[in-house]
Amino acid sequence: MAERAAKRQAAGGVDDKAREAYFTASQGQLIWARFKRNTSAMAGLIVLVTLILAGLFSPFLTPYDPTAAGRDMSYQNGAPQIPRMWDENGFSWRPFIYTPERFRSIKTNFRWVTRINRNKRRYMTFLPKGDPYKLFGMAFRTHLFGVDKGKIHLFGTDAAGKDIFSRTFHAINTSLAVGTIGVFLAFFLALIIGGISGFYGGWIDSALQMFTDAIRTVPAIPLFMALAAFIPPEWSAEARFFFISTILGLIGWPTLARRVRTHLLTERNQEYVLAAKLCGASASHIIRRHLLPSFTSYIIVDLVISFPYMVLSETALSFIGLGLKDPVNSLGVMLQNVTQADVLLNYQWYFIPVIFFIVLVLAFVFVGDGLRDAADPYAETRK
Amino acid sequence: MGQFLRFAFVRAIMAVVTLIIVSFIVFSLMEMVPGDCAERYLAFKNTQGSGISVADIDAERERLGLNRPFMVRWASWIWHAFQGDFGESCILRMDISQLLSDKFLISLGIALAALALAYAIALPVGIISATSRNPVLNNTLRLVSYLGLALPNFLLALMIMLFSTMVYGNSLTGLFSPQYRDAPWSWDKFVDFAGHAWLPIFILGWSATAFAIQTVRALMSDEIGKLYVTAARARGISGWRLLRRYPARHALGPIINSLGFDLNRVFNELPVVALILTLTEAGSLLIEALARSNDQQLAGAIIFLLTGSIVALNFFTDILLALADPRVRHSILGRSA
Repeated sequence: MAERAAKRQAAGGVDDKAREAYFTASQGQLIWARFKRNTSAMAGLIVLVTLILAGLFSPFLTPYDPTAAGRDMSYQNGAPQIPRMWDENGFSWRPFIYTPERFRSIKTNFRWVTRINRNKRRYMTFLPKGDPYKLFGMAFRTHLFGVDKGKIHLFGTDAAGKDIFSRTFHAINTSLAVGTIGVFLAFFLALIIGGISGFYGGWIDSALQMFTDAIRTVPAIPLFMALAAFIPPEWSAEARFFFISTILGLIGWPTLARRVRTHLLTERNQEYVLAAKLCGASASHIIRRHLLPSFTSYIIVDLVISFPYMVLSETALSFIGLGLKDPVNSLGVMLQNVTQADVLLNYQWYFIPVIFFIVLVLAFVFVGDGLRDAADPYAETRK
Repeated sequence: MGQFLRFAFVRAIMAVVTLIIVSFIVFSLMEMVPGDCAERYLAFKNTQGSGISVADIDAERERLGLNRPFMVRWASWIWHAFQGDFGESCILRMDISQLLSDKFLISLGIALAALALAYAIALPVGIISATSRNPVLNNTLRLVSYLGLALPNFLLALMIMLFSTMVYGNSLTGLFSPQYRDAPWSWDKFVDFAGHAWLPIFILGWSATAFAIQTVRALMSDEIGKLYVTAARARGISGWRLLRRYPARHALGPIINSLGFDLNRVFNELPVVALILTLTEAGSLLIEALARSNDQQLAGAIIFLLTGSIVALNFFTDILLALADPRVRHSILGRSA
């Protein structure tokens, strides 16, 4: 389209600048120009950036500490509290929620029951001081919002009284971190193994391919489960976190390595590589300066596309109790208890984080797809 | 024919080599895990109240042959594994092949059925979406297949459970009705099984379908722009006949080729889904074997079996592909000869 537009303008003799800009644009600018025209990919990008920022600033955006330190003893398994501006008692400029009260009497068989008192309002406050947290190495106490009395739980609370809203946002952070480490490790291995295989070819290639194919046939999750079960239970949450990320990276490399290899195999016979060789360039120089730049865009696209699978694998593993454990928050950790009939029937707000994760994964998929189309220089001529 | 047999033979050798490499990786991993079978069994007995000494552990190692060198044990393990004998489970002290045979076959059946379901949907849908120029249809299909990717199977399973508990008050779990659980296989048992198995099959098929649609669509849209299709159209062939006879035949090759890896993906999701639906097939048995008792003998056997079935499927699809496509046959023979 840009080509056509450029041609049209050039033919009219109106604007040579657009044409000039098109022909002198760098690869990055061209990709960005194509990407911007893809509405669904742009929407995905906006959502993705929002979610990433929300994850990064989660301690500020959420009112409470996501671990047991921030739990609300008086509101366990509590339903979501939706702020409102008016009710039968009148209108308020400041959004408010009601106060839940626990009571028991002969009517409730002396069991504790939570009842909402509509006459006692809790008004929302903005930028209150709350649980301490660290952001970029600095200590803060200010949160975006809170309530004047007691606590507010937009998404309800879990069995321990932990705020699901706070946990969800912190979980985004965890998932992104696990995914990033996993993707980069996979990428690193893929680049080395695929690079060696594709650049040297011959028997090295055959041997490495045999090895890669063998790895690819092993179902990763069952294998991982086998290994994860042997993690000593006394490992700290951080140690587990790095272990899981590493494993995800170790599992993820073969597909990427294969793609790197295929690309190198076709590229290394191109004239520009021959020219560099004739000029006396070393193997590592050719790889770094000529071959890698020829497919950076593909690599970036592959990384973005493989990201959601890392996130999903982590979620699945934590969910079955073989991944991350409690003080760390991730979607899988949060969903650990939901298969119980009790939760399914009575506490459906446990599922609210799921929506965020579906959106996160979808955003990644859309952006990845958009990038793939944008990075393909022949996409326009083919249509 | 002789040529074809040679090709099949080469492929069989390659499959066996792959299995040997895999078995080596799996076996080494199971060795690297802290503690061995003897310690584990005796530690288990210790919890049952019998006192255990170091001498007992050494004697048990001797009995299990764990004091032999690593390579010897690996060789003997793989030798027996190829004969379908995986030794005894570390903790349960039961013959593993006996323990697994039924459960493994059920898992395999469910996984293959899910795969079949996925392609039964994906082939027509993928072809339609590659050829149709209707943007509404295309975008809907894209969205559905994205959802299949983004909504992991275990979440889907949870949603279905949530829904069925809310609506029917019944959580649709298990694979057999109680009266058939230990009964020998019969027609009634099979019917009962099918009545329960559709849910895991559907759930596993869900994301497999999403993947398959994307693959079929990508392959078809690559082929459909090629000159031979235009040439066929110029000769007056059109509609489904054209698609079936020209681009679909070309696109089918890579699809058959990737079936093994699709099975891999289904296996990856099997244990998680199985856990939610509390099915008693190999998947959930794997979790049980691992999460509770760290049984490396059992774990190794299960992973070997799963990988073995993927390698076997890869082998069969290669043979199938060679039957359908002489180019593949020649390329393999050309390299090995």
